[in-house]
Amino acid sequence: MDSVEVDFNQDRPAASARPTGVAGIEVQGLVKQFGPVTAVESASFQIQPGEIVGLLGHNGAGKTTTMRMICGVLPPTAGVITVAGYDIVTHRRQAAARVGYLPESSPLYPEMRVREYLGFRARLYGVQDAKAAIEKSVDRCGLEAASSRLIGQLSRGYRQRVGLAAAILHDPEVLVLDEATSGLDPLQVIEVRKLIEELSSDRTILLSTHVLSEVETICDRVVLFARGRVVAEGDLETLRSRSKSGAGASLEDVFVELTAQAFLEAGP
Amino acid sequence: MSFTGVIAAREFRSFFLLPSGYVVGSLFLLANGIVFLSGVFLPGQPATLRGVFSFDVIILLFLCPAITMRAICEERRQGTWELLAASPAGTGAFVFGKFLASMGYLVVLLVPTLFLVGLLEFYGRPDPGEIAAGYLGLLLVGAVYLASGVLASTVTASQTIAYLLTVFFWILVGLARSALPGWIGPEAWGVLAPWDPFLRMQDFTIGLIDTSSLVYFPSLALFFLVVSILVVETERRA
Repeated sequence: MDSVEVDFNQDRPAASARPTGVAGIEVQGLVKQFGPVTAVESASFQIQPGEIVGLLGHNGAGKTTTMRMICGVLPPTAGVITVAGYDIVTHRRQAAARVGYLPESSPLYPEMRVREYLGFRARLYGVQDAKAAIEKSVDRCGLEAASSRLIGQLSRGYRQRVGLAAAILHDPEVLVLDEATSGLDPLQVIEVRKLIEELSSDRTILLSTHVLSEVETICDRVVLFARGRVVAEGDLETLRSRSKSGAGASLEDVFVELTAQAFLEAGP
Repeated sequence: MSFTGVIAAREFRSFFLLPSGYVVGSLFLLANGIVFLSGVFLPGQPATLRGVFSFDVIILLFLCPAITMRAICEERRQGTWELLAASPAGTGAFVFGKFLASMGYLVVLLVPTLFLVGLLEFYGRPDPGEIAAGYLGLLLVGAVYLASGVLASTVTASQTIAYLLTVFFWILVGLARSALPGWIGPEAWGVLAPWDPFLRMQDFTIGLIDTSSLVYFPSLALFFLVVSILVVETERRA
């Protein structure tokens, strides 16, 4: 059960030694079946380093399942996922070490204190200078005031920030954020969006959301899921141009139109 | 530190951050004290902890599942398993980490009972070999109880069910060893008897260390842990 410790500081330059032009996330022909239910059906998309891509879709469209597969939580039934140049199935450990993941509702250990939890996460990812990394994360996520408090006593907004701080602690090349701003008050939403934009300068970010205005504000591109399939992909202009309402359509119109179309095509 | 060590350290610390850790510890020590004072620490009694060890084999059957019932199902309930599954640590590190932490906690439970050994030393001349064998036996049987508890914690999402599954499994084993010799005859029981964990534990309480037991108990614990890993992996792939 012993592991090879990952030295991220040494590892970062090595990442650039991998073939250039490697996508941050590459998903090809992804399928996930839970028994007779197909949650994701031949999904394919690419996200380049430095891009913020929004994963959109109705409830049960397959967004969270796709994110879980990208992070190595669930193995795909078929298809290939490459994260930062590593296949998540055949090179799970190397790929996982390069991903920061914030699951929906930011699960945490309520009995631990914030700094203590971040210390645990730093050790889990083999971060070399854990103290400095924790300070940087705490500072970036505005957690100074709460860093000594019990996680169980924190508000939802703070819990979300702790989850985010833990996700960026090991300076991952790829960030996967599932509903990162859900349940936050408007001020916190603005702060988290700002943080995501700051973080995107040197990494790949995939985020799922139900808030369409969020996509318009921070995402470079959108991947739209409906009934487990990718029904549209591209920047906002491309998506609008696909709508019957034309370039003047709101993202909401486009979302409703393309999702409804997918349901009609798929039948009952 | 290895992934297993990191996970074990966090889990071990959690035992002392939650009230249940202190409740289990207090009950164990209280029960030990009562048995010692009422059955062992009496004028004219031999200076031996056999009575305490025999009692501990039974009380650990009820306490060990309380230590491990949170292990994996609580991670599932609060969603933190997803974070561990997304980390570079594998399922093996997850399961073994949980087990090692609970073993560490069992050691912490047993350390204060050395005070009883001190009392015996002060008032009598106990056999140190017998006492060491007793402690070794408790650790071995405890490891098996804990590993079976970790397995129960992987198959259910409820702590209560995990606890009951483990306790009833061992009660059934206990009942089977009483009933089976009568049902299948002494000859057939002769073949099965070496697999009886309670019979093997009796040897330890009287200071007898059977080398086959040193292989038997860790192998049984390992078996439960490997099945736990398979259960977690199978579920992940379902």
